[in-house]
Amino acid sequence: MDELELLKKDWQKDNANFPKLSYDDIYKMILKKSSSIVKWIFIISILEFVFWTVIAFAFKDSKSIKEFDSFHADYLIIPLTVLGYLVLGYFFYLFFRNYKRISVTDNAKNLMENILNTRRTVRHYVAFNLVYLVIATGVALFVQFDQNPDLITMSHKAAADGNLFVFYAKFILITAVFLVGAIAILLFFYWLIYGILLKRLNRNYKELKKLEV
Amino acid sequence: MDKELEHSFVEQLEEHQNIVHKVCRLYTNNQEAHNDLFQEITIQLWKAFPKFRGDSKFSTWMYRVGLNTAITLYRKSKRRINTSDIEPVQFMIKAEPYDDTEEQQLKLLYQAVHQLNDIEKALVFLYLEDKDYREISETLGISEVNARVKMNRVKTKLKTILNP
Repeated sequence: MDELELLKKDWQKDNANFPKLSYDDIYKMILKKSSSIVKWIFIISILEFVFWTVIAFAFKDSKSIKEFDSFHADYLIIPLTVLGYLVLGYFFYLFFRNYKRISVTDNAKNLMENILNTRRTVRHYVAFNLVYLVIATGVALFVQFDQNPDLITMSHKAAADGNLFVFYAKFILITAVFLVGAIAILLFFYWLIYGILLKRLNRNYKELKKLEV
Repeated sequence: MDKELEHSFVEQLEEHQNIVHKVCRLYTNNQEAHNDLFQEITIQLWKAFPKFRGDSKFSTWMYRVGLNTAITLYRKSKRRINTSDIEPVQFMIKAEPYDDTEEQQLKLLYQAVHQLNDIEKALVFLYLEDKDYREISETLGISEVNARVKMNRVKTKLKTILNP
């Protein structure tokens, strides 16, 4: 006899062998909270949105940005700020639309795809923020060198001493360290999300995709 | 939420609870993990229940939600012991006492099934529940042909595990 047929025969006569949960047992279960990965993905994604928004606001209130506002750089700052909010709105909309599509009654492949799409939206948003951060930092550096009277004096002094290269290199190095720090935070998020939450899902999704080839 | 809805749900789940138990048996290796997954499947079923329109049987709908929870949504809790070394003997049913060979073979079969990956287990589960390839393919989101091909591969894999 085929092995699976033997197993099937046994499997189907096995009905009485499980512990029988009472009506009350089941009722108590439906009052409990889920600990599914979708719930965690939702919480972590929202935290990522909050994180980047808080970062933007924290920078806005900082002393250096207030000082920065006194420079004539509105033609650069305003479009960058508007772009930041528009993109935040767009990604937030995409995130909720994808999140709403997650349904446990879908077939397994679609369910996995919808979960991964939801994550992908947040990943793109974070990638956008990284690029935005690099551009905004570049713009800020440019405006500072161009308009900050202290920096202009310092650069003239450095030029007179023949140290202009070291002077610029120092600023660029500090900026680079700051950016590397930001990227490290980002990588931490990815380690958190993909390493822990999505490992199993990714493995199973790949297995299903493999069947389609 | 609506008391009537609650009552209707709990009553139906109580009646069909063995389906959930069977999913748990395939995807877990100890009683604590079994209870944990049972709990999560119940919550997912309950959350999805308001949208259950009754155009399919309650039990058919349960297969889908149960498997989706087991292979996609369920997050193993940390307190769980790593059970890969523990034999799933406690979930074995005793075969007829007069047939020792069959009992032994079944024990090995259950152990072999536990070594399959999540998707292969889902295929085996639906097969054991006597679902046809159309339903298997619809539940997993793959084509009927691919479901058949994969099922044959699983059978071969089981044979290899049983006769290395």
